[in-house]
Amino acid sequence: MTEPLRALIVDDEDLARRLVREFLGRHPDVAVVGECENGLDAVRQIGALAPDLVFLDIQMPRLSGLEVLELTGRRAGVIFTTAYDEHAIKAFELHAVDYLLKPFSQARFDDALARARALHAPAAGAGLEALVARRGEPLERVLIRDREQVHVVPVAAIECIEAQGDYLAVLADGRTYLKTQRISEIEAQLDPKDFLRVHRSFIVNLAHLQAIERQGAERYAAKLRSGKRVPISRSGYEKLREIM
Amino acid sequence: MHPLLADFRRLQAYLAAWLVVAAAIAALLHLTGRGGWAGAFLFSAPICLLYGFDALSAYWVCRTQPMVRRRVGSLLGVFGGTALLSGLAWLGVGVAWDALARLVFGRALVTLEPAGWILWFAGGTLMYLLSLLAHDVLLAVEQAQEAAAREAASRVLAREAELQVLRTQIDPHFLFNSLNSISALTTIDPAAAREMTVDLAQFFRRTLALADRERIALADEVSLCRHFLAIEQRRFGRKLRAELRIAPDAEPCLLPPMTLQPLLENAIKHGIRHLEEGGLITVDATRAAGALRLVVANPVPAEALPPARAGAHDRGVGLANLRERLAALYGARGRVEWRAAGGRFEIALELPAEEASAAAAPRPTDKETLR
Repeated sequence: MTEPLRALIVDDEDLARRLVREFLGRHPDVAVVGECENGLDAVRQIGALAPDLVFLDIQMPRLSGLEVLELTGRRAGVIFTTAYDEHAIKAFELHAVDYLLKPFSQARFDDALARARALHAPAAGAGLEALVARRGEPLERVLIRDREQVHVVPVAAIECIEAQGDYLAVLADGRTYLKTQRISEIEAQLDPKDFLRVHRSFIVNLAHLQAIERQGAERYAAKLRSGKRVPISRSGYEKLREIM
Repeated sequence: MHPLLADFRRLQAYLAAWLVVAAAIAALLHLTGRGGWAGAFLFSAPICLLYGFDALSAYWVCRTQPMVRRRVGSLLGVFGGTALLSGLAWLGVGVAWDALARLVFGRALVTLEPAGWILWFAGGTLMYLLSLLAHDVLLAVEQAQEAAAREAASRVLAREAELQVLRTQIDPHFLFNSLNSISALTTIDPAAAREMTVDLAQFFRRTLALADRERIALADEVSLCRHFLAIEQRRFGRKLRAELRIAPDAEPCLLPPMTLQPLLENAIKHGIRHLEEGGLITVDATRAAGALRLVVANPVPAEALPPARAGAHDRGVGLANLRERLAALYGARGRVEWRAAGGRFEIALELPAEEASAAAAPRPTDKETLR
């Protein structure tokens, strides 16, 4: 027998956490190393404890279970628990991710645990990866992790997004937030009605667009309400003209 | 019955219009040298008044021709035929009145040669055709208005049915989470599990029993809310505290079922749940100046996080629905106001204070208007 598996239980209801604890009682090879009441706490604990297994509720205050995964980058050893969430369940089925529907039986719990253990290999994260990257509906808020802090930026507040190497610089409310993500990935998550990729490395929020300035022959820049100027590529200019 | 025949004042106006037509015809007769002014008017006026009634028959003729899917052939046949018949009647009455006038007054009122009589007949036919067209247009407008009214009424009904369904629908999230809590309690605290089962059953039973009634006493709604809170308190533990302050004279007041409970549900869903230390929900029900006033207040997170997904806008929709519902039931006397300030959300409802016995008797406002 190897070292026990270290488990973290994330749920905003005390009784729900205690139930998971009770069901884990039959598995002496699993040790509960922590409990979290909300998503923000879960982000911190997952980072600090690096548990082997996470029992993760979907519908939680502050951050949802999926957002916790997005922020922590965690992809393996996750068992979702949810009472009722049509959208989430559809997504789970689509990406073959395991989940427990509350209320669940000990037998069903044992099954999920066995599968999570068998799938503990990193390769198993592929389904989750896809699940986190594409959630169907357009994003309403962007989560940015800044060491111990988590910033929640409503997409309406975002003026523009610039690709800077491996990072994205998100300009919102006069501040710049850095986020590790590819620009094509966030472009796909944003509502195309509101956001436009005007340049290889720039996405602009059309609500913050004030004017298009001509800067010489065939060269244009977008002027934002804050006064910031963003370069527009030729194809970006064509896209803008189509919309306007 | 023709709408004009049913309304004496409109009938008078209609016949007055025909006198104007008679005057116009008299003018034509006079100007074409077919008679004197007075004689021509004496000739045309009685015929026009009589013909006015004949022209009303166009109403029934038009009604035989359905507005939708009418056939051009049969329409032309019917309209042309009846117009010709009416023209003949107009001609007959003209000839008869001409002859009678000669007998009575000893001289002709007008002198019409055969060509004049042909014009006379054509004029009568044309006027009937105009009447047919006018009636057709009026009927079409009337039908369009009726259709619009029917559509509006069915929309209101559909909305009411939708609200009814929403009211009786229990949040599945609430149900499954409660069952999960009971499942946890069965080993931790069997007695509490049993209590929670009973609360859940009572809550559902009451919801089912009350939701299809039009109005219930506040006391009944409050009792349903107490079961609901008991369940939620088991789920959220110390985080959720609630204080219901119901004035004794407010208890018998009637209100639509499931008015208060969704407000408590919102207070937990959007307020208490997001607060680490939880908080206190207060409900105040008072009665003053013929009005029942309900105020629900709860703390909300200071940092108003944007919702995680589109569905979370429910709250605004729910409150708008509530406002609409109270407006539909009470008009201007049903009011909903809410505000969020200083980390607190407060919603106030005001509706006329009516009791079960008072509702059966004529309402006080009716008496006031009678006086």
